[in-house]
Amino acid sequence: MKKIYLILIFFVAFSGISYSQCNDQLVSICAMGNEGATYIKDFKVRLKKAKKNENPPVAKYSVVLNKNTVYRFSVCSATEFEGKAIIQLYDKESMLGSNYNMATGKEYPSFDFYCKKSGIYDVFMSFKGGAEGCAAGILSFVGKEY
Amino acid sequence: MKKSVLLLFVAMFIMYSCNNSNQADVSKDFEVPDSVLMEKPLEISEETMENIIQNISSPIEMASLIKSTGAPFSQKLLSPTDYVDEYGTNFKKALSLGVFGADLGYLNMYEKTGSVITHLSSIKSLADDLKVGQFFDFAMLKRLSTSSNNLDSLIFISVSSFNLMDEYLRENGRTNISTLLVTGVWIEGLYLATQIVKDKPNAEIAERIGEQKLFMNDIILLLSNYKSDQNFQELIVDLESIKALYDGVKISYEVGEPEMIEKDGRLVIVQNEKSVVEITDAQLDKIIEQTEIIRSKIVNI
Repeated sequence: MKKIYLILIFFVAFSGISYSQCNDQLVSICAMGNEGATYIKDFKVRLKKAKKNENPPVAKYSVVLNKNTVYRFSVCSATEFEGKAIIQLYDKESMLGSNYNMATGKEYPSFDFYCKKSGIYDVFMSFKGGAEGCAAGILSFVGKEY
Repeated sequence: MKKSVLLLFVAMFIMYSCNNSNQADVSKDFEVPDSVLMEKPLEISEETMENIIQNISSPIEMASLIKSTGAPFSQKLLSPTDYVDEYGTNFKKALSLGVFGADLGYLNMYEKTGSVITHLSSIKSLADDLKVGQFFDFAMLKRLSTSSNNLDSLIFISVSSFNLMDEYLRENGRTNISTLLVTGVWIEGLYLATQIVKDKPNAEIAERIGEQKLFMNDIILLLSNYKSDQNFQELIVDLESIKALYDGVKISYEVGEPEMIEKDGRLVIVQNEKSVVEITDAQLDKIIEQTEIIRSKIVNI
């Protein structure tokens, strides 16, 4: 097995693939690291640093979620940028969940959402403190019910 | 753990290969689809279209719901691959590519990795004809489909290839093709679901069929951008006939606040607002019948 890992490391080193790259490899890494969940779609985001006295830039996407289904929202930040990604799920004006708890400051690599209302939801992605960043958000399907 | 690492590398390799394929060659060679001329400005903005396209439900989810009911796999539900070479227009090819994409989700979910190859060949043929074959590493997909141990990778690569293709089409002003793709995926998902309840009643699937009322308008809105084309106009008329059957389907909501819990170290949000669908057997029967007719027009010559 060691030999296989060495070959893989060699391959990575000479193919230009890096875990930290701000491109589709980041999506692959993030999606395949999601054991027990099936990839549905991704949100690629690259945002500049927030300007002084301005709100941090935010990227918005919309998704269809179905009733009686558990979804996972996960996020991976590219390491060559300072920004740590925050992913938030909204139903119109109401925030339903996030991987970052602003009250406690606790961060999670992902959160699961047990949907009970079919419809169109919004996903917002930004970077903590308005830092410059690049990240991949992944929506995956966990199962029918908890 | 070792398996996951290997899967990861396989996925990275595939993404790397796909992204470095000969996109430049293809982009030089775009053709206006033979059935659509983009002379008039779009009636709805590209941004709105993108939002709608993004919001068509995943074929994997519908297939998973079907599987979770205990319904056995049925080959006869799948779109026939016999006529692929005879689909004469890009309109037909794009619509069918969406249909086959949904079928691929159904095959993958039931772990019918062996049968995937036939469908992959059809997808390859249609995608190449539409000049978007570069997003599929078919050799790799075929290799992955030889073993059910590769299912996670197979699903990821299949779905992400479709997503990348769709993104590329929209970015390159080929939203008409993208629109047909998502319409095909949606119709096939509806067809699979309706056939399952036709065979054996199931409240959950019936409810999911009823929920499609939420998305019908969006799909018709997308297609209406190209209604000056006769093929699109005919498809709109067909979908309007299903939409009319949904008029009596009621969707209501029960209010509730979301709960946040931590389970095994993972953050879980439980939504307590609920949607409730009311769909009668008679309504369902009519939707089943009409979906069969329209889907048959799409997959046959």
